[in-house]
Amino acid sequence: MKKVLVILMLAVIGYSLGTSFSTIKFGENRIGDPKEEKNVAAYYLNRTPDELSVANVITAIVVNYRGFDTLGEVSVLFLAATGLGSILYRRRKKGEHPEVITKPASQLLQSGSKLIYPAILVLGAYVFIHGHLTPGGGFQGGAIIATGLLLMMMAYKDFEIRHNVLTWVESIAGITFVSLGLTGLIYGKTFLENFLPIGNLNDVVSGGIIPIIYIAVGFKVAAELAGVLETLLSNKEND
Amino acid sequence: MVISPVHYVAVPLLAAFLMPLLSKINREFVRIIPGLVLIYLGYVSVTLMNQVAETGTIVETLAGWSAPFGINLVFSPFTGFLATMMTAMAFIIWIYSYRFKKVDSEPAQRFYILQMMLVTGTIGIVLTGDIFNFFVFMEITAISSYALTAFYRHRDGAEAGFKYLLIGSFASTFILLAIVLLYSQVGTLNMAEIAQRMHTVPMPMKVSILILFLVGLGIEAEMFPLNGWAPDAYSQAPGPVGVTFAALVVKAGVYGLIRVVYTLFDIPSVGEFLIIMGAITLVISEVAALKQTNIKRMLAYSSIGQMGVVLIAFGIGTQEAVFGALFLMFNHAIIKGLLFMSGSYLVYNNPEKEIKYLSGYGMKMPVISLFFSLGALAIVGLPPFAGFWSKLYILMSAADSSLYGLIALILAVSIIEIVYYFRVVGRLYFGKPAEGSIMHKATPGGIIAMSILSITILVVGFYPDIITSYIHNAAEALLDKAQYIENVLPSVNDLTQIQN
Amino acid sequence: MSSIDYNQIMSIGIYGSAIGLILIGLYAVLMKKHLTKIVIGLSIIDAGIHLLFVAIGYIDNGTAPIFSPKGLEMMAAGKTMVDPVPQALVLTAIVIGFGVTAVALSLVIRLYRHNKTARIDQIKSLKW
Repeated sequence: MKKVLVILMLAVIGYSLGTSFSTIKFGENRIGDPKEEKNVAAYYLNRTPDELSVANVITAIVVNYRGFDTLGEVSVLFLAATGLGSILYRRRKKGEHPEVITKPASQLLQSGSKLIYPAILVLGAYVFIHGHLTPGGGFQGGAIIATGLLLMMMAYKDFEIRHNVLTWVESIAGITFVSLGLTGLIYGKTFLENFLPIGNLNDVVSGGIIPIIYIAVGFKVAAELAGVLETLLSNKEND
Repeated sequence: MVISPVHYVAVPLLAAFLMPLLSKINREFVRIIPGLVLIYLGYVSVTLMNQVAETGTIVETLAGWSAPFGINLVFSPFTGFLATMMTAMAFIIWIYSYRFKKVDSEPAQRFYILQMMLVTGTIGIVLTGDIFNFFVFMEITAISSYALTAFYRHRDGAEAGFKYLLIGSFASTFILLAIVLLYSQVGTLNMAEIAQRMHTVPMPMKVSILILFLVGLGIEAEMFPLNGWAPDAYSQAPGPVGVTFAALVVKAGVYGLIRVVYTLFDIPSVGEFLIIMGAITLVISEVAALKQTNIKRMLAYSSIGQMGVVLIAFGIGTQEAVFGALFLMFNHAIIKGLLFMSGSYLVYNNPEKEIKYLSGYGMKMPVISLFFSLGALAIVGLPPFAGFWSKLYILMSAADSSLYGLIALILAVSIIEIVYYFRVVGRLYFGKPAEGSIMHKATPGGIIAMSILSITILVVGFYPDIITSYIHNAAEALLDKAQYIENVLPSVNDLTQIQN
Repeated sequence: MSSIDYNQIMSIGIYGSAIGLILIGLYAVLMKKHLTKIVIGLSIIDAGIHLLFVAIGYIDNGTAPIFSPKGLEMMAAGKTMVDPVPQALVLTAIVIGFGVTAVALSLVIRLYRHNKTARIDQIKSLKW
């Protein structure tokens, strides 16, 4: 009986969503000519190369135009890591240390991961350093680095990242972000405003504080994701 | 550095990021820092409210791009009033939670971080002028609530938290879908510009977007039938967290609903829909409260009922009704806060939180019982306490709109309220104490917090004029859509980067 | 094939699969009994919504909104750039979805520890 009701409701939802979206023509150009600046998207496309010297418009939006959203997002990550820690917190009895996966990984995984691991780290670093020039950025780069760390954690059971280090990196990166924003405020401008010189388009050093923020975000995301993975992995059930 | 609305968000965030580092220096810092932050925010509130009274709404642009190309924060008499109220309640909650339960420092650190972020999230919801930013802050609030609900290990917190998470995720899903559709129609995310361009959206699409918003925000505002998560969350969360839910989170949800209905959309018949849904919410939750034996669940259902009255008043939509609704929100935050605080102490050592174990506590815990009784008297609307005025104004506005059925309904429900509240009070004072019941002495912080709230209830009850001028301005600011648009988008052709 | 048919097929394909994902996720959340499957269902709903969001931003004959040397070349050749705003918003939404999933999984672990089972019909202390 419940199944029938659910399927009925899903059909209704699917139908209404379908009809709503069918009125939105796929691929229709709703921006218009960027030079006319009829709406926000056109404005961003038109102004970014000149006013910010940043090649990747999406980076400019995420870090500068809508930087406040990114601040919120970074705090969501921080919250998720903190919440995870608080929910899974167990008072350690004396002499007990976190249990890890006991079955050793296969030979293929063990040797392969040693080869790929440095490459993954470099790729991740490249992605978040060049966030303003190529597709990618802080979040993507941080996720890549965390994936590399996960690979090592799965392959070697004694691969450990000390929680202290992660906490430090996390906090310092977060503080950097907020301080950069507040610096803008102190200089008499608005919060998160760009106060460094913007340089030339397509240079690595361009766009003022945008690459700096994205690098901080990259570190933070990598540290946080690694922390989350480590908390989850080290909670093997035994009681 | 100029005091501006962004301090409400930036300062607590900075403090939250610093907490893990500072706690390594000195364990006690984690308990003190939230207090310091909130005192500073209180100072910010006072400064900004004064400024708003003189020069009008403050619109702060962020990252140097004026609206609608950047995100902006709007501190109007309405949003400023809500933000100040939330800051003040958060501070009182901090006093209350100082050493509420003896925990080691590591959970305490996480608790205070989560609590501060919860407050930041709700204040951010109220102050923002951008719909996607609203969604982000809503998620900040939601995630901290999920984690805080499940904070205690020995209760059913995880289950309540999981249920809350499921339903809360539905809320975010619906709101995100609404934002997707809205962006495809109007091409902007700024609330003022959406309001300006709303008339270009075809009606069927407008209705779909409105329905999605109503369902998503109704879950947060505890509208029937979307409030199933609330009683469990309120009863399983730690005491201070329950107070935060009742005083801050649900207010932010109602704010979101009102902002969407009043400012973004221009469909006139939504008011009647709100009245109907509010009335249904009221009746069903108050009847449910009657049946509860767990004191926190009873208070939770009572909260939902009060929010129903708020929705009814907002639905009526006249200046007087909106004034009454805002007054009720203010009163409810204070009174329900007091009830939750004293209620938590009454059932402290009682894992079931059942009312029947409270027999005779009136003699054993006289001060706390007194606080609870004061709260009960205030919330049913007896003069000369604060709750009387808000009920009066709402009933008067219903009379002015000739909605006599509503007056009868609200009065009938008040009788139900009196029954179940005085049931508890009666048991406190006239029951015989059971064998071996242990009570808990309240901490000095708890007593101070509850006293502040009680004094406020008495003062506002006797001299409501202290607060009514602020609420009047707030009501005006809410209803004046054209003014809001004009404040945020001063001249639509000015596209250059501004320098402060 | 006229261009209108092609567009219709594309829109049905993309919108349809995104809405399909949302429906599959909803089905999993509402009907499945194992807690982990419910959490996965939530993730699937998120994926569907993000896909919808990005699909809205697509413009025919468009290229990525990056002003790299290659991008400038493409602009000179007459291509327009797609809408960058939905992509930026989806970036934020993905991270938020990850945060919620992480908290959800930790709650599942807690519930499993407490009740020795991860099936919803056997965890019934509170009224569902």
